Amino acid sequence: MAARGSCPACGSAALVEDAHYAQQQLVCAACGCVLAEGLLTTTYSEEEHLREVAYSQSTGQKEQLSRCLQRGIKRVQDLCKVLQLPKVFEETAVSYFQRALQHPSFHLVSLEKKELLGGCCVFVTCRQHNWPVTMGTICSLLYAKQELFAGVFLSLQKELELSVPALSLADLVTTHLNSFRLFQHADDIPAQYVEDKEKMISRTMQVVELAGETWLVTGRHPIPIVTAAAFLSWQSLRPAARLTCPLARFCKAAGVDLPPPAHLRLKELLGILLRMASQLAWLRVFKMDKKTVVKHIGDLLQHRLFLLKNAFCLEEEEEEKKERPGTAPGEGSPGSPPAGGGVAQEEGCATGGKQQQKDRPGPLLPPCLANPRKRLRTAALSASDSAITGDEPISDSDIEQYLRSPEEIRAFKKAKAWL
Amino acid sequence: MDADSDVALDILITNVVCVFRTRCHLNLRKIALEGANVIYKRDVGKVLMKLRKPRITATIWSSGKVICTGATSEEEAKFGARRLARSLQKLGFQVIFTDFKVVNVLAVCNMPFEIRLPEFTKNNRPNASYEPELHPAVCYRIKTLRATLQIFSTGSITVTGPNVKAVASAVEQIYPFVFESRK
Repeated sequence: MAARGSCPACGSAALVEDAHYAQQQLVCAACGCVLAEGLLTTTYSEEEHLREVAYSQSTGQKEQLSRCLQRGIKRVQDLCKVLQLPKVFEETAVSYFQRALQHPSFHLVSLEKKELLGGCCVFVTCRQHNWPVTMGTICSLLYAKQELFAGVFLSLQKELELSVPALSLADLVTTHLNSFRLFQHADDIPAQYVEDKEKMISRTMQVVELAGETWLVTGRHPIPIVTAAAFLSWQSLRPAARLTCPLARFCKAAGVDLPPPAHLRLKELLGILLRMASQLAWLRVFKMDKKTVVKHIGDLLQHRLFLLKNAFCLEEEEEEKKERPGTAPGEGSPGSPPAGGGVAQEEGCATGGKQQQKDRPGPLLPPCLANPRKRLRTAALSASDSAITGDEPISDSDIEQYLRSPEEIRAFKKAKAWL
Repeated sequence: MDADSDVALDILITNVVCVFRTRCHLNLRKIALEGANVIYKRDVGKVLMKLRKPRITATIWSSGKVICTGATSEEEAKFGARRLARSLQKLGFQVIFTDFKVVNVLAVCNMPFEIRLPEFTKNNRPNASYEPELHPAVCYRIKTLRATLQIFSTGSITVTGPNVKAVASAVEQIYPFVFESRK
């Protein structure tokens, strides 16, 4: 409520009537100078309208806690409010924070880490209640570096001995899709891009489950997978209008960030879908590519269990066929361990299978095994190296190579003097 | 494949870290001047010396403590450490090779099957820690052996432990758990 008059300190006319706890005050909005205060006692009519103040908001709690703890608790509470978490979460997070700060390994850390500690407590609370929040969200809210956050999170888990259950991908899909803007008509979104929320969530969930069964989720960051899955399911719900839209434009229209790995995940998902499509009876006649397979994602997802089994189970049959003739030559080479031999046979039968029948795909492997990069691993110890005992005599000539001769020393000294 | 059957897995040792003391003060400037293959880090106060025959990098401090890294077996580490002590002796220091100890061994092992990490973490709750947002592998700690294993979904396992025996027993211990959660 603006009031008339000007501030004696800075002269501005922006005066506001404010209340400090139950006391009325006239405050200048520019410099904060208090012009007038209300009466110390309140009238009966004012007391009727007084509200209850929680202990944490009153001054009582402040007097018992140190300033650092107060600031940290306030930060945790603000974070919970921003994330719109239930009240129970806030209390749990604050209790974790208080326990952690008393712990010797967190008492003397830098202020930056103490700020992150609050965020870590909120994150742990959310995970324990299966509330889907990613580390990326908390880091961006705290303007923190991911590596530092990771370090603090791991030490918090260790010191307080908290068990943090895994992030549930299904809940994460729902939460992440809630932040997309494509479910309502807006001016900057073309009409054909708008989609029904329930349909999109259910289809994205199915695509994410498919990714989980085909080794695309293990060990990877979850958000790019959810983004790529959402894009594919959005395209498949109305392929005619949306096939021309690339991933970047989709993310811009939806109002979300495009995480860099999402393109790779999209490629991998399309690869899996193409292999499944090659097994579907009424699609085998068509030549499928990345664009056309999107139209049939609905059918592929409906029969995905059957198609996955067909597309990738062939490696087990071929292994059994190859092992029986393979054991006979295997006995001839005595030194090779059976496991090494087994792996070689698997690879042999996969390539052999590929050569025999061109339309028979290879086994279902994680992507990094399916396209292995060249490995610079040193070979196993040669015979001469394994003879080292550690206690052999060392000849002088061996050592001479590590010492400079006197002429070299003089030359080096001269060169240094020049520099 | 039965988990109890004897499967020979080849464990490849990639790095052995060892320390020893020379029991005498070392003049780093002299080592930097008269030694070949050395790098003098004056700001930190240490000298890096690289040996060729066992491929080893040694960090030498002026107090006489030396750390050697890069060996591929415990014997090779000892051999390299003795070579280094001998080189320092030739440079004129009164070196006594004492307190040799292997501090850390890093090894890699490949399982012949892929591993489902979320399932593995659920079955091995307190010891296993899996955060896909931070690192693609499960971190499994064995407190009794003081060993840490990093288990990847491809079946590759990286083990670090205080010595080679601990590393081998760690792999033996983890095999049945990993076998349960295989593809």
